[in-house]
Amino acid sequence: MRRYWAGLAVLAVAIAGCGLGGAEPDSAAPVTNVTGEVKGKVSLQTWALKPKFTDYVQGVIDGFERQYPGAEVEWLDQPAESYSEKVLTQAAGGSLPDVVNLPPDFAFPLVEQGMLLDVGQADRQLADVYVPGGLEAYRYPGAQGTYGYPWYLNTDVNYWNSELLTENGLDPEKPPASLDELISQARTLKEKSGGKVHLMSRKPELSDLVNAGVPVMSPDGTRFVFNTPEAVALLDRYREAYKEGLLPRGVLTDTYAGNAKLFTEGAVAWTTAGGNFITSLATDNPTLAPKVVPSPAMGTPPLYVQGLAISKATKNAPAALALARWVTNAENQAAFAHLVNVFPSTKASANDPFFSKSDGTRSGDAKVIAFTSLAEAKMLEPVQVTDAMKKFVRQQFALAINGEATSKEALDAAVAKCDELLKS
Amino acid sequence: MTHHRWFTPWLLVAPAAVWLFAFSVWPSINTLVLAFTNARPLGGEHFTGLANFGRALNDDQLADALVNSIVYMLVCLPLLTLLPLLIAILVEKKLPGIMFFRTAFYTPVVASAVVVALIWGWLLDDRGLVNGFAQWLGVIAAPVPFLTDRWLLLFSAISLTVWKGLGYYMIIYLSALGNVRRELHEAAAVDGAGPVRRFWSVTVPGVRNTMLLISVLVSVSALRVFSELYVLSNGTGGPGGRDMSLVMLIQLYSRGFTGHLGYASALSLVLLAVTIGPMLLLLRLNRKAA
Repeated sequence: MRRYWAGLAVLAVAIAGCGLGGAEPDSAAPVTNVTGEVKGKVSLQTWALKPKFTDYVQGVIDGFERQYPGAEVEWLDQPAESYSEKVLTQAAGGSLPDVVNLPPDFAFPLVEQGMLLDVGQADRQLADVYVPGGLEAYRYPGAQGTYGYPWYLNTDVNYWNSELLTENGLDPEKPPASLDELISQARTLKEKSGGKVHLMSRKPELSDLVNAGVPVMSPDGTRFVFNTPEAVALLDRYREAYKEGLLPRGVLTDTYAGNAKLFTEGAVAWTTAGGNFITSLATDNPTLAPKVVPSPAMGTPPLYVQGLAISKATKNAPAALALARWVTNAENQAAFAHLVNVFPSTKASANDPFFSKSDGTRSGDAKVIAFTSLAEAKMLEPVQVTDAMKKFVRQQFALAINGEATSKEALDAAVAKCDELLKS
Repeated sequence: MTHHRWFTPWLLVAPAAVWLFAFSVWPSINTLVLAFTNARPLGGEHFTGLANFGRALNDDQLADALVNSIVYMLVCLPLLTLLPLLIAILVEKKLPGIMFFRTAFYTPVVASAVVVALIWGWLLDDRGLVNGFAQWLGVIAAPVPFLTDRWLLLFSAISLTVWKGLGYYMIIYLSALGNVRRELHEAAAVDGAGPVRRFWSVTVPGVRNTMLLISVLVSVSALRVFSELYVLSNGTGGPGGRDMSLVMLIQLYSRGFTGHLGYASALSLVLLAVTIGPMLLLLRLNRKAA
């Protein structure tokens, strides 16, 4: 009997101990010492750059070690899949590498927990070196400071299948520039092709609401407010278009990448994608690639940012800061952007003709369009928007578009759920 | 005579016990504890009493998921309990080439659920083989929305589960049928019982225990369905998320930097309660019938 009680006691202690006690925001954490000589070991974590860019990254690291003799970089590269889970495990386990590649939305929860270094405070020259949009991406509501060195940037460009457009009486050189024109041309394409192909193949996202002038959150970032009459009108337009058969039915369950997939298959004549889409299309559908015409995105182009953040728990802040600055300097970024169609976040690259002058190919045109668009590109969705919120919003928009709920009902439900997820 | 030290048996079971504790018992205890907290992947967890369960009561997504999971079970249960038995009876016969059919029925079991669901997705798409063929035959004017209508998507996934499960349960029935004594069939035939009567009066009672086992297995796995619905709906749970299963909902809340681990744990306990219910009912029915 005594053994029985002893067992229960052990179990009770175990239950009391497990689960609880995760990472707490640590306001009393020692201030990271950011000054000092650049030497010793420093770890750098990139996201899916091996093996395609092994030579490039290794070259950058070798350059750093030559520049700072005594410094030694340990390079970790994580696979593309489940990167957020990996970073999460590292953060929760206290093993975040010194310098980590984190897009702004991944960095936000870590900033909230006080796990990242305010590089704005540690490095006063940020504003002179990097473009404002890139830096802005790493400034968060409720937190003072800048929490990442912007690395490479990208945005969306419109791509049109010129063959499908021409065959169906549309001019690929005069692509639609607004939703009205898009719907009108989608109608022409549907009628001429007998419904075999579509022009439109994506349902609106929160970013489309932003482009229609709808605020997603209240100015203080504490609640969602995108259930406005303008948003209702936008969803109504999509519902009518859907009812008219201007969008494939699969759009209801497609994710954001769905339209690029349908475009690659030749089932739709329009997609949005990054500046390097034609290059990847040349592998996936070589016969289609030469027929693709790019044009600027409709409305404000979205800004996609990758950056390097520094763990607040780093034991070698001087080397971590120097390494992040080194990897993201104009020279190294330009070299990277020459290898793959991404764009540098450094001001010094603005006048590089490599980005601003097309080589005459459609792919080159797309690159120039993307580069020029970056000047006005913005992060359209607030960082507080989580994957669970995005999923719920998509589900509700699908419900409004197929007519099972009114646009107002769907938007109200989406706002209520986003608020609930934000607060809980 | 060999003397064993007192700890020898413990040493022998230690690897399995450690494994079981680390990957089964401990996570279960942890889930139980987290269900009463507002745990997040990062950030402190605080005891919140029954708040997560209160939240679950008002969660429309959970209501939809429960309905889906229960419909899934109610449809799969009779189909996957009876159809494999009929197929097992068919392929039990010793005919030339019967191995081909046995293998053919079993093949879907070997295939990965995700791969099979992807193939079914292509088949059932608006521009897929099924709709294309039906339109070519002139049976339908417009494609049937197998993957974008709430109930059609659910029943498409159920069909996939049934098709994929047939072979597995057929094998279990085949071994059970081998234990039904031949003389009973012969005696019944002599008494004038036809094939249908022999099925109900000899075969079914002979495999009753196996049927119960299969019913329990089917109901548990149907309530925990994930891959079929996830892949067929592109991970979206269909329009309005109305085709999410309970497991999909748990997955949604437990992932990412901003996961709601406390709430996901509470949902896991709801799933546990829902799963135990039909199991107890089936066992009770069996005891009554025995």
